[in-house]
Amino acid sequence: MIATYIFGRVLSAVPTILILTFIVFLAIHLVPGDYIDIMLGTQNYLTDEQLSGLYKQYGLDKPFVVQYGIWLKNLITFNFGTSLRTGQKVSAMILEKLPVTFELAFFALFFSLVFGIPLGITSAVKRNRFGDYVVRVLGLIGLSAPTFWIGAILIVAVSGLFQDYTLFGFVSFQKDMAKNLQILLIPSLTLGLMLAAQIMRMARSSMLDVLSQEYVKVAKAKGVSTWKVIYRHALKNAMIPVITTAGIQFGYLMGGTILIENMFALPGLGRLLLQSVNQRDYPVIQGVVLFTGVFIVLMNILVDILYTLIDPRIDLR
Amino acid sequence: MEWKRLRRKFAKNPLNLISVVVFALFLAMAFFPQIFTQFEPNRMNSAVRMISPTASHIFGTDQFGRDIYSRVVHGVRETLSIAFLSIVLACVLGTALGVISGFYGRWIDQIVMRLMDAMFAFPTIILALFIIALYGASQKNLIIALGIVYTPIFTRTVRGSTISIKQFLYIKAAKALGKRDLSIMLKDVLPNLTSVLIVSFTTNFSTAVLSEASLSFLGLGVPPPTPTLGGMVGQGSNFLLSAPWIALFPGLFIALIVLSINIIGDGLRDVLDPRY
Amino acid sequence: MKKSLLFLLVLTVFFSFCFGARAGGDLKFAVQVEPAGFDPNLATAFGSHRLLEHVYEGLLSFNENMDIVPGLAESFEVPEPTKIVFHLRKNVLFHDGTPFTAEDVLYTFKRIQDPAFASPAASYYTEVSSITAPDPYTVVFTLKVPMVNSLLLNFAGVNSAIVCKKTVESGVNMQLQTNGTGPFKLKEYAAGNYIALQKNERYYVPGLPLLDSLTFVVIPEEISRSSALRNADVQMAQIMEPLSLNTFPAQRFVTYRVSTLPYLLLGINNAAKPFDNVLVRRALSYAINREELVEMVAFGEGTVTGPLNPSLKTWALLPEAFDEYSYNPEKAKALLKEAGYPNGFSFEAVTYAQYSLDKIGEAIQAQLALVGIQMKVDVAEFGIFVKRWREIDFQTFLSLNGGSTEPDIQFYRTFKSDGATNKFNFKNAKVDELLEKGRQALDLEERVEIYRALQRLLVEENPFLFLYSPNNLYVSLPEVKGFVPMSNQSLIMLKKTWLDK
Repeated sequence: MIATYIFGRVLSAVPTILILTFIVFLAIHLVPGDYIDIMLGTQNYLTDEQLSGLYKQYGLDKPFVVQYGIWLKNLITFNFGTSLRTGQKVSAMILEKLPVTFELAFFALFFSLVFGIPLGITSAVKRNRFGDYVVRVLGLIGLSAPTFWIGAILIVAVSGLFQDYTLFGFVSFQKDMAKNLQILLIPSLTLGLMLAAQIMRMARSSMLDVLSQEYVKVAKAKGVSTWKVIYRHALKNAMIPVITTAGIQFGYLMGGTILIENMFALPGLGRLLLQSVNQRDYPVIQGVVLFTGVFIVLMNILVDILYTLIDPRIDLR
Repeated sequence: MEWKRLRRKFAKNPLNLISVVVFALFLAMAFFPQIFTQFEPNRMNSAVRMISPTASHIFGTDQFGRDIYSRVVHGVRETLSIAFLSIVLACVLGTALGVISGFYGRWIDQIVMRLMDAMFAFPTIILALFIIALYGASQKNLIIALGIVYTPIFTRTVRGSTISIKQFLYIKAAKALGKRDLSIMLKDVLPNLTSVLIVSFTTNFSTAVLSEASLSFLGLGVPPPTPTLGGMVGQGSNFLLSAPWIALFPGLFIALIVLSINIIGDGLRDVLDPRY
Repeated sequence: MKKSLLFLLVLTVFFSFCFGARAGGDLKFAVQVEPAGFDPNLATAFGSHRLLEHVYEGLLSFNENMDIVPGLAESFEVPEPTKIVFHLRKNVLFHDGTPFTAEDVLYTFKRIQDPAFASPAASYYTEVSSITAPDPYTVVFTLKVPMVNSLLLNFAGVNSAIVCKKTVESGVNMQLQTNGTGPFKLKEYAAGNYIALQKNERYYVPGLPLLDSLTFVVIPEEISRSSALRNADVQMAQIMEPLSLNTFPAQRFVTYRVSTLPYLLLGINNAAKPFDNVLVRRALSYAINREELVEMVAFGEGTVTGPLNPSLKTWALLPEAFDEYSYNPEKAKALLKEAGYPNGFSFEAVTYAQYSLDKIGEAIQAQLALVGIQMKVDVAEFGIFVKRWREIDFQTFLSLNGGSTEPDIQFYRTFKSDGATNKFNFKNAKVDELLEKGRQALDLEERVEIYRALQRLLVEENPFLFLYSPNNLYVSLPEVKGFVPMSNQSLIMLKKTWLDK
């Protein structure tokens, strides 16, 4: 039953992904200035003959529909092409950046849940009392300030206060765990702050929702203490929308967080996308968009499945 | 009568009231920036370059000797109008698509929703670049770009609500009576979406302010010298160590605007959602 | 006064190298952009050049004063005006151990001249009729036109660096792998993160390089780059925003600055109204306050420049020599009136968000408004800008052009009626004539006369406006010794840099 469901969902995702990659391909080819233009810049001394040679060499002389066709054809054999800019394999580039973005997304989500859920619950339980106001304003500040602004301020503050703190020079988790975590702490905190506010709002409203249910009222009437009610009954049900939000957010984070990665000089997918868009490195753009598109869709499916595990009453359809 | 009750419920929360006042102040800045400022936002003055906040320039000046406070106030106008109009655009497009999709279901629904799924995963930067590339960087095109980015969010919300509204008896009755589809959608479905739309509008309005800031930061914003809050943070962030006031104040204004909209949004949801 | 102090500083840094240079150390250098491809004969990206100049070398090289000095050729002679003979070094090894010979030189230039290969350097050598190697350590270039003077410089450029014939013929992807003769070998490239170079133990100059390793750490944001240096995550950083220097106190940091050859310009489409009228172009020149631009945008870290950089003392006429380069709004208004635009006019300038060009646009916009000219600044994305530049789809543009110490290279392709980068619709028979004469003249004094006349003519005609040359700025921790920045933005002096710990 669940297997057929997953199969159906995955199958229906295929046209979505195809539409996505096609529109991206179309859009980026319609933007003036192609790879060759940007490579040569304004120091372009080439003759027309040399130029057409270059276009041919990079396969950019063909009509764009043909180029897309070739990309699709190669995709069937899991060949994602090579970067025009560096000559590296697109799959290798994505795999190289993936762990960075994954770690960043993971820690950001971790922070957002750690801060967001307790704050949201507190806010709901103390609804319309002073505590609620304080928590909400504090939490919403995270959601309200631009992340790149907070990021820049944190960089200045941390590097000013802690002269020995290593903020830059990313190393992988396997290579140097302590340094890796130290470097990722501030950027994931910056992102997590923003997410925490969303999680907090979600947790607050779904908690309020659950607290107004009959069975909670009954439990309370029986004299069970408020926190016990929350822990025993309300929490689990209130978590469903929170998990949805978290899951979908995770999907988006995996798409790379361009501004944060740029600010903290992290070699992740977001920066790869930004760079390849700036350079019109078509195969890399396609690869990143395909990858993140698939990831976002899969994440949505996973969230729906998690739903049922937490609350079997929800029917998958 | 109904509105009066809602208003009282909304006003019961002091946080809501404070936010309304704060936001009203920003609106006043947006509509009448001249009242709040004594300097031209784009007037350069080499005599007062890069001065830190003083009595005459309360937020200091930038490298051209322009008054940051004046630029921030005028930036509020630009930023708010871009965010507002783009969300209006998204709301109109999204509601139309969502109602049609939810109302007719079947293949229309399939096509619209698969398209929306694709747009959800569409990188904002490519979309913005695309629109700005084809039609030039301007306020109008930034609005169109952001409007398209936010359309799928409205489509999804509206579609969900439409499907549940469709089950109401009176809609079924109207259909049975042979009322035209368009008329049902406009007269029977749309009014029921009001509260959903109000909540959705405020939530996304606040994120649109942030999106404008991000795009301006990436250099895909309104052309100079027009100040926008995001653009000012972008230009000033290089100076965060040497002249922090240039980026701090516009950033703070963004935060305050978004914060007040968010609290108002939460308040509205509390009031409008019958569950609370 | 300020400049002579600077010179003194540079000099001190230079001499400190002569006394007590010590080998060793691992230098981390924070840069803004990363390389795009490793093939020296193909690379156009700034980041690639800054990396490859350490890995590969040309027949000639520059010293810290931008004089031409021997590179892989230990000497050269010009037996007749159309012939250059290079005598190659004998004990040079590529990084993989292959000995370097004339074969590699011939192969490299065949590669460059191959139209299908599309090397950006190909256009430098179009006037070369033959390249031969009479013996394994001699290479002879024969030219169609006597233009040795302007040709020599190209042999020191990254795009003319010598590649290993054996390696290229083995079919490896030269954009991904390197095999040069330079002081450093490529050790590791972590895209988006860092590029690690390692000392070439068999470098042909004894004792060099001094560093054991050199790592370029890529940090795009200015605030992050300076914070990384402040916290000693790196020992040296490139600074793009001059005001950042204020945050590096002299007690704890060393600042390097050099006036560079590239120049910022307001490019003009000379065929578009109203700029087809030379009076209008001249009025623009009077209406723009270049000193104020340097002060407002670059905080004084720049040099107002005429057609040639003022540092080229032999050739250049200083901006002060030209009345057109003085700020004179009244004169500008009078010229506008004479040209038939008493109430000014409005036009658009397209640019992109790099090198503070958007800010220069804002400043010029304000300056021109004072004489009644409305300038609209379109800050386009770089790719869009390049396309509009290539197709001359603009009224005016703001950009940064590469500069050269050699007038022929600086002027020929930019101002010749059919020049490769003459995107200004500028056609002037007198200019063309002077360009040809200057290219072929052999006598230095004669050439100086020709190029002075050309500079005067260019300022009179104002095909576009030269604005200023920005300074390049670097900051390091005090333990970094021996680094000298160069006006062509090259970092090759890192081979003489060491860490004093």
